[in-house]
Amino acid sequence: MTAVTLASAEVSPRRWLKALASQEALLAIAVIGLAIAVGLYNPRFLAARNLSDVLLGNAYIAVAAVGMSMVIISGNIDISVGALIGVLATISGTLAVNGAPIVVAWLAALVAGIAVMALQGAIIAYLRIPAIVVTLGMLSILKGGLISVTGGKWITDLPDSFHLADIELFGELPFPVFLMILVTILAALWMRYSASGRAIYAVGGNAEAARLCGISQPRTIVMVFALHGLFAGAAALLYATQLRVIQSTVPPNLELTIITASVVGGVSILGGAGTVVGSTLAAVLIAEIASALVFIDISPYWIRAVQGVLILVTVIADILRRRRMAGA
Amino acid sequence: MKLGLAAAFLGATLLAGSASAADKRWDGADDLPVNPLACSASEANAAPAAKPYDGGRPSNAADKAGKPITLVDVPKLIGIGYFNATSKGMQDAAKALGNVTVKTDGPTEAKIDEQIKFIDNYITSGVDGILFAANDPVAIAPVLKKALSKGIHVVGYDANATPDAREWFVNQAEFNGIAKAMIDSMAKEAGEDKSFAIVTSTFTTPNQARWIAEMWAYAQKCHPKLKWLETVEAQEDNNLSFNQATTLINKHGDKLAGLFGMTSVATPASAEAVTKAKLCGKVAVVGLATPNAMKPYVNADCVKSVVLWNPVDLGYAATYVMRAVVDGSLKPGATSVDAGKLGKLSVVNGSEILLGSPFIFTKQNIKDFDF
Repeated sequence: MTAVTLASAEVSPRRWLKALASQEALLAIAVIGLAIAVGLYNPRFLAARNLSDVLLGNAYIAVAAVGMSMVIISGNIDISVGALIGVLATISGTLAVNGAPIVVAWLAALVAGIAVMALQGAIIAYLRIPAIVVTLGMLSILKGGLISVTGGKWITDLPDSFHLADIELFGELPFPVFLMILVTILAALWMRYSASGRAIYAVGGNAEAARLCGISQPRTIVMVFALHGLFAGAAALLYATQLRVIQSTVPPNLELTIITASVVGGVSILGGAGTVVGSTLAAVLIAEIASALVFIDISPYWIRAVQGVLILVTVIADILRRRRMAGA
Repeated sequence: MKLGLAAAFLGATLLAGSASAADKRWDGADDLPVNPLACSASEANAAPAAKPYDGGRPSNAADKAGKPITLVDVPKLIGIGYFNATSKGMQDAAKALGNVTVKTDGPTEAKIDEQIKFIDNYITSGVDGILFAANDPVAIAPVLKKALSKGIHVVGYDANATPDAREWFVNQAEFNGIAKAMIDSMAKEAGEDKSFAIVTSTFTTPNQARWIAEMWAYAQKCHPKLKWLETVEAQEDNNLSFNQATTLINKHGDKLAGLFGMTSVATPASAEAVTKAKLCGKVAVVGLATPNAMKPYVNADCVKSVVLWNPVDLGYAATYVMRAVVDGSLKPGATSVDAGKLGKLSVVNGSEILLGSPFIFTKQNIKDFDF
């Protein structure tokens, strides 16, 4: 296994990228194809307003999936992110209603996100505890802590200036959509061309080889988690500032939706492969399917089943692709 | 493999397309009988079938008819706007009655074990009556029964206990009452012959299913020209509710004249969706919600009616009911009770007092509430 991965790491970065590009191309085709199919059934689906709303309402998932993709590529997983987004939204909203400068309220979510995730990364990397165990623990702490501290009380009366998600750039482009695109492009370029970005693939693909190349695995993992925390903070801000009310609870199943976006986006659940372009396209596809189900009069309960099918198909495709590569 | 994926997508899309159901209206579907109210208030309502008294009775309660009494109110938790409002209603009633002292005390978190401790302490220290809003209907029963066994009167409000653990329960709203208020508001705001859609939690949530079933029955009876487009689910999730409401707006376009929010999450999210779509005044939003979450939309004239009940009246009524129980004017088998400025309230379901029609928060009154 080690020899094979090593060998392919030498020959095939280009081949990998090719294969991944095709996963992304496939998702892009699916996004467009689905839009056309639903548009034929109900042309209103293709109205600019609806397409923009689909992106606007789900951009936070794509932003969080960028960080999640990095975590999974590095060979880890994080199931605490949904709870963390709920906590960060509450922290930011609480500061905003209590008169803190809005910029401070926004920054607090980012800083707290980085802190919590970097801590988890350090526990995972230096104490060598599996990520699923650490993040499961954190999930419980955050979930229970949030309810205990807030008593489930909603945050209302948020100042108007708090609503980051209401900002529109260049006339029509909503800020969340802009942020989603920007974050995806920057992260994709960084992961592809910078040494520290490539280190994520190296650590997730073959930790031993990475060590021999002089890459510090623990440091890379802490960095990945810290970045993931930053993206979770940004996602929390989009999530919190979209509505006039913050629920002070953990959004149900949010971490699963985020992980689904990463995995369907072509990020290998075994680590070492995938791109954030794929995860963003997958997040868009999942959002599009949810909207499409209403347009074609199907119960939204099917969204879960459809997500499940997507996960299985992409994971099977990933495994088969690896086998073929190993055989070659 | 790529082909396989593509085929899966295509297949899913086709399947979805062909499976689309002809009948989109979903009206509760819990198969329980519905009981729509009369269309206008002036029509007399047929009295509901009488059910025998099923509440508990205190043993050897001291006769304090007409004499000063001391009550304690133990809500689910203290320090939140909602129970501050019920507490205010109790103080108002105490002042109006003149011979009642009532004190509110309870846990700072909605925890049943804490609440039980509070009630137990007041049983020990001795009061004439206990008012409660239960954190858990079953778990609270033993301590309430203990109070009854010590001769203390017990009346619930807001959240019930099992009937035999208390004497009376002041019920804030019945399903058909909420349904009437919702449909009447929608017909008034959107128009008698307009179309609307519903955003609910899930099709399996019992309260929402009952409300929608009653709404359907009442609309059939009193506003038959209103058109039901469809009902969508949004869990109890803020952002999903917003996305679903937005999708409904985009899907139906001009046809959509109204949105119902069936939960305190779905209603503000629907109002937000209408605001963002710049359709305030064109798409009416009517729903169940708490005032604080709705203030921005009501003050911006985007939402005209928020349906709920008035917690101040609820606390007021609970105190009057307790006084009537102590005085002996509210006995098992009674059909109504006098509740001061609220007038006569009727007895329903054996041992419950109905607060009356739901309360509608509007731009004029919503600022008076903080919960």
